[in-house]
Amino acid sequence: MPVLNAKALTVERSGQQVLKDVSFSMQQGQVHALLGGNGAGKSTTLLTFLGFLTPVSGSAHVQGRAVSENVSAARQAIAYLPEAATLYGHLNAYENLRYFLSLAKTDTDRRALDAALDRVALQAEAREMRMQTYSKGMRQKVAIAMAILRETPILLLDEPTAGLDPAAIDDFNRLVRDLAEAGRTVLLVTHDVYGACHVADRIHLLHKGELVGSFDRPSGMDRIDTEAVHAAFAAHAA
Amino acid sequence: MTGSFRELRFLAKDRAALLWLGIAVLVAGLSVFLGLREVAAQRTVLNELIEVDRAERDVLRGLHQDWGDVAYYTFHLTHDSPSDFAFAALGQRDTSPWKHHIRALALEGQIYETDAENPDFALIGRFDFAFAASMLAPLLLILLLHDLRSRERAAGRYELLGATAASRGSPWFVRAVLRVGALTLCLLVPLWAAGLLVGTGAAKLALASLVVALHIGFWWGFCAFVDRFGWSSPVNLTALIGAWLALAVVVPAAIESSVETAVPVPEGGEVMLTQREAVNDAWDLPKSATMEPFVERHPEWADYTQVGQSFEWKWYYAFQQVGDQIVEPLSRAYREGRIRRDRLAGTLAWLAPPALSTRALQAIAGTSMADSLAYEQRVRDFHAALRGYYYPRLFRDEVVSDASLGQRPEFPVVGK
Ligand SMILES: Nc1ncnc2c1ncn2[C@@H]1O[C@H](COP(=O)(O)OP(=O)(O)O)[C@@H](O)[C@H]1O
Ligand SMILES: [Mg+2]
Repeated sequence: MPVLNAKALTVERSGQQVLKDVSFSMQQGQVHALLGGNGAGKSTTLLTFLGFLTPVSGSAHVQGRAVSENVSAARQAIAYLPEAATLYGHLNAYENLRYFLSLAKTDTDRRALDAALDRVALQAEAREMRMQTYSKGMRQKVAIAMAILRETPILLLDEPTAGLDPAAIDDFNRLVRDLAEAGRTVLLVTHDVYGACHVADRIHLLHKGELVGSFDRPSGMDRIDTEAVHAAFAAHAA
Repeated sequence: MTGSFRELRFLAKDRAALLWLGIAVLVAGLSVFLGLREVAAQRTVLNELIEVDRAERDVLRGLHQDWGDVAYYTFHLTHDSPSDFAFAALGQRDTSPWKHHIRALALEGQIYETDAENPDFALIGRFDFAFAASMLAPLLLILLLHDLRSRERAAGRYELLGATAASRGSPWFVRAVLRVGALTLCLLVPLWAAGLLVGTGAAKLALASLVVALHIGFWWGFCAFVDRFGWSSPVNLTALIGAWLALAVVVPAAIESSVETAVPVPEGGEVMLTQREAVNDAWDLPKSATMEPFVERHPEWADYTQVGQSFEWKWYYAFQQVGDQIVEPLSRAYREGRIRRDRLAGTLAWLAPPALSTRALQAIAGTSMADSLAYEQRVRDFHAALRGYYYPRLFRDEVVSDASLGQRPEFPVVGK
């Protein structure tokens, strides 16, 4: 049974079709990347899995169940990292994590918080500071830490590496692979071709709401063929 | 429960919310303080007057041998003591007289003497608790609630919050409840403290608290309604402040002016002047012009209407009464007009919750127009009792005695 399944999704926003007949499915432990230019419909796809948008035709399924049937079951199974996530600026990292984890009824002690923040390599001295003093990359790290602390079977990550420096991106890619190996299913949105090729088992290329290409990691290889993805991306961008 | 605790901690770190709540405490505290001070000042004035009033009558005892002189020189203090809740809503105590010096002469001029420049009708009065709770509290609530969701949307957190909470109780309702509850408490705690201080009845405090809570509830509902459109914070704020301006300022002003147009009422000063002219004219009229209308009202004195001298006290008091009789229709129109205006304003106030809340608090405080008119009626009743006391003594030319003076009516003090 696919953990995430998009069946001929067609979604409208403000009367415009922003997803057209998009289908793909993910098995447990897989990492997929949605790749595409601005406005291609990547974020829209995630929001549809979370039940914030309802497809005009087709359906989104989470753990075998239509999202429209039980939105909260879908949301409970998913840790979501929104695009350009800004947590509360007037709270520090711990307070932000505790607030959102409490919202999800996840009990977490300080050690677990620190362990997660260690995993995303957020400087210890910054953790007690209000997040409005953070750089974009530091904010992004806390948001990633939060997604892993949720301990949900599924992670939907919208441009998780935006604002991260190259070293942090490498850390993040390793983290995602670790999560997948531990059995979590990760759908991430990016326009970083190189990163996507390294972390994903499969890349879906979206263009103007349509799936225009899929690229699999060949078995035995450690990454998807970057050249081919680049070429396809560039062809559509032109 | 853990959700409420989480949101309470969240609220405790929200500086903007704390600022508005702090302002609410200050505004409520200041309004209550000013109200207490005003009522204390009114009580001090009354207590002094009550003492002087009694002392004066004691001094006069035995000074005059003639009932005409006694009635002419003896003043009686009539007063409407502030209730134990008047501090919260000064209402008519601010605009209508609550004390008079009454003697057995023509009454109308004495009652409306103070009325000449006082407005006799106002929906929104001075800075008291009623003003704070009815006019300012909605503004603070708007500031607390207008961006509850919109600021999360603007920050890109809206979906994150919804997705994270799933069905386990979204934070919106708890956040709103805590803000609304905190604001209500910030307003009511100073009120309760003042109530304890001056010994306000628990029922009055409970009722007033209910009025405040209902009024805030109305604005909460309104904020929730505007919230449904999913506008941005500035648009929400503009819409809500606009509604506040309409309901707290424009509609009450429109009600006031339309009530004034719809129900014409003569001036209190006109009543006074007409009566005084009638009394002044009486000096130059034939005695019968006074005694005839007087006897019409008091047939029991028909056998005592002979006035042989150029001046006789019974004639003097008779023309005082006839002065009142002449102005009676005007005076009645004035009173009934005020009652009709008040009733109409009361009905129309349902269009403007701040005005409605103000009126409700004034009703609890005993400072409404109805209370003011009830006091006026007590003055009239007392004056009638005075006349009833003096007339037999004047007309029968009785001898002034201590025993007889002991029977003179006193203005009854009504507890509120
Ligand atoms: N809140 C919104 N309301 C209406 N249309 C939107 C909204 N957000 C995005 N869109 C439109 O939907 C389309 C897809 O957007 P999105 O999924 O955010 O693209 P991206 O691939 O960059 O994440 C775009 O055409 C965008 O203009
Ligand atoms: Mg996007």
